[in-house]
Amino acid sequence: MRRLGDLERRVMDVLWEAEAPPMSGRDVSDSLPDRAYTTVLTVLERLRHKDFVRRTTQGRVHYFEAADSRDAYVAELMIEAMGASANRRAVLARFAASVSPAEAQALRDALQLGSGEDHRS
Amino acid sequence: MRLVMTAIALATFSVVLLGPGSTWLSRARWVHRAPRAGVLLWQGMGLGAILSGIGAGLALAATRYRAGFAGGTRQLVGSLFSNHPLRGLGLYDALGLTLAADLLIVLGVVLGVFMVRTVRRRARHRDLLDLVTYTAPQYPGTEFLADRRAIAYCLPGFRPRIVVSDGTRTLLDRNELWAVIHHERGHAHAHHGLVMLPMASLSSLFPWIPYARYAPESMGLLLEMAADDFSSRRSERRLLAAALVEMAANGWAPSCAFAAAGTGALERVSRLLKADPTSKSSAVLASVLGLAAVLVPVSAALLT
Repeated sequence: MRRLGDLERRVMDVLWEAEAPPMSGRDVSDSLPDRAYTTVLTVLERLRHKDFVRRTTQGRVHYFEAADSRDAYVAELMIEAMGASANRRAVLARFAASVSPAEAQALRDALQLGSGEDHRS
Repeated sequence: MRLVMTAIALATFSVVLLGPGSTWLSRARWVHRAPRAGVLLWQGMGLGAILSGIGAGLALAATRYRAGFAGGTRQLVGSLFSNHPLRGLGLYDALGLTLAADLLIVLGVVLGVFMVRTVRRRARHRDLLDLVTYTAPQYPGTEFLADRRAIAYCLPGFRPRIVVSDGTRTLLDRNELWAVIHHERGHAHAHHGLVMLPMASLSSLFPWIPYARYAPESMGLLLEMAADDFSSRRSERRLLAAALVEMAANGWAPSCAFAAAGTGALERVSRLLKADPTSKSSAVLASVLGLAAVLVPVSAALLT
């Protein structure tokens, strides 16, 4: 299970770093010489079903490209994690939500009061 | 007649749990000294209210059999599956039965839909994490996101994931980061995401019910405190408090999501700095109350 996940990640890396996207299945497979062509195709299809990969067809050849950039996906994760979307608590448990400057000062005061001695600026 | 009294008593109990009881608990500070038992108390009150509501409906519907709660309910169920279901039902019976059925259906369907939606979103979140996070050998079991904003969270699931952003790594020193990771491991270890799964949609669905309005927020804070305690058993409490202050003060904030979360951070920090943040007697009190909330409707059903 985890190994397939790792391969999905490597396939995405190939697509993200492609010099001339979209790539044919053969191109992707050539970039992963330790993996069989059919395995790579299976993974590409899996990624397509998860909407991470787009497929176009020219003649009889399928071409694949990443549906979105790596940065866009990181941004999507961050936005969901930051709680910009509703229903946040259910999706994940975030360590600390951000506070207003006034509340931040109150927090620093509390920490200083509680510790007594040293404090960093 | 006795069952009618039971029905009224159970309905009243349910209303008390969902209304004034929830308002009272949402303001109670003593539960902060026993966060895990406090969560159990909220759960017990919710379960007790549901059981009482259903029990009240069933008691009303079973009145006409004059066979007590258990006997009447059995005959009622029997008649539902006979050739002539519901023959000879009176107004009270119909009302009671409808109330009981409605409670079950509304809760089941609505919560079910929201829970499925949440689980799907978690699945997509997990798929995305698989593709874009990186790991660091000095922080096993933790994944990192290449983003300069500071955030740390636990994605619930069968195998919970702990995610920390680059921004957090620059903001905190090594020991503080470990305190945060231990906090998130506390969430993962106790599967807090599962506890919150049925709760998260409640406040938007039934904002006019005090329980639905207060329980998700209060339980969320109590679970944070429970995770703080988990971390405190593995690294210094002061480090966690310092990390909390830094993260809350320097984390990127969506403009609309301030206030409520902020007060939570202040309560957690002052709690962590106390000499003794937890208390056995608070834990016992919360557990006994939570158990009582469930036992009242159960014993009412058994004794009448």
